[in-house]
Amino acid sequence: MSKISSNRVIRYSSLVMLFIIQLLFLLAIFKENNSTIALSFFIVLISFLLLFSFFKSPVHHNKLAYEKVYIAVWVPIGAVSCYFLNHQFGLGSVFSASLVGLAGALIPYLNKKSDYLSHLPPAIYCGSFVGMSNTRVAHDIYFILAASICTAVLLIISKSLLNGVGGKLGTLAFAGVAITYLILFLFSRA
Amino acid sequence: MIYTAILIFTGIFGSLLTYYFNNKLKLGGVLSSSLLSSIVAGFVHFFPSYIPQELVSHIPLIFIGSSFVGMVSSNQLSTFIGVSLSGLVYSLIYINTSKFFDGFGGALGTSACISLLVIMSIPYLRSNHKMTLGIFQLRRMMFKEKRKRRHPKKLND
Repeated sequence: MSKISSNRVIRYSSLVMLFIIQLLFLLAIFKENNSTIALSFFIVLISFLLLFSFFKSPVHHNKLAYEKVYIAVWVPIGAVSCYFLNHQFGLGSVFSASLVGLAGALIPYLNKKSDYLSHLPPAIYCGSFVGMSNTRVAHDIYFILAASICTAVLLIISKSLLNGVGGKLGTLAFAGVAITYLILFLFSRA
Repeated sequence: MIYTAILIFTGIFGSLLTYYFNNKLKLGGVLSSSLLSSIVAGFVHFFPSYIPQELVSHIPLIFIGSSFVGMVSSNQLSTFIGVSLSGLVYSLIYINTSKFFDGFGGALGTSACISLLVIMSIPYLRSNHKMTLGIFQLRRMMFKEKRKRRHPKKLND
């Protein structure tokens, strides 16, 4: 009984957290562009539609499931390799992220029968979004490591949320980077 | 102005192309998104002189973001109109994006997810079946009054 209720707590808290992160993203746009009425109206409309879609549309599975830890381990690997391609070789954030994603997407073709390999591409692609952060946000490789571990935890607990919606991996990466940035900001001030 | 139009067109085109690769050619979301965006970003990286100076830094970013829109599975959103509309919403968000979250990894994915969820909150755009039903309902609403007028006349006759 207690396991079911704790599962429900995890499910709703992660759902509310993802929603708050997206709302903050919209709020930042609203705050910077509130001089134009059309754009403000557009943002408010989008926020209400987002609220409706998050809590009413059938985009989540009812049953809570967790991703395996040995799949989420690949998130830091993708993040670090994307960061190196971006900053050491100077390929640019988009090109390096897509190269890492391409390499990850070709991994299942090594052994088509393997069940484990077929789950890796989303985790690696999710990690590569963390590595897209520029140097203003991510000062060194340790920030990327911390943010990608945070993203891996989020990936584990949010397996049954937002199924089949593109941009879920990006939202998780954004949440991981934002939470790590907030924690570092709070600790650096104290 | 023309550059804004090119950016919006890139957003819509990228989402439609990735959606086609993902769901019609059955390549899978990650492979189709990363393949297409690596082609575009590689072209821009190695031949930047073919593209106007103002667009060089924006085209790869808007293309990879719109390819996240195209990663949606056909169980969730199965109409091309819905996909292109969410590409449009994504481009509008990208053009007006805030400076506060500039440089955060995953900001593009967040905007793609927002635009998809906005379009998916409208049930008529989610699947072809529902869209035809929606058109029927719209037609019925439009012609309701005519029928009402016609009906009592027949009764009177």
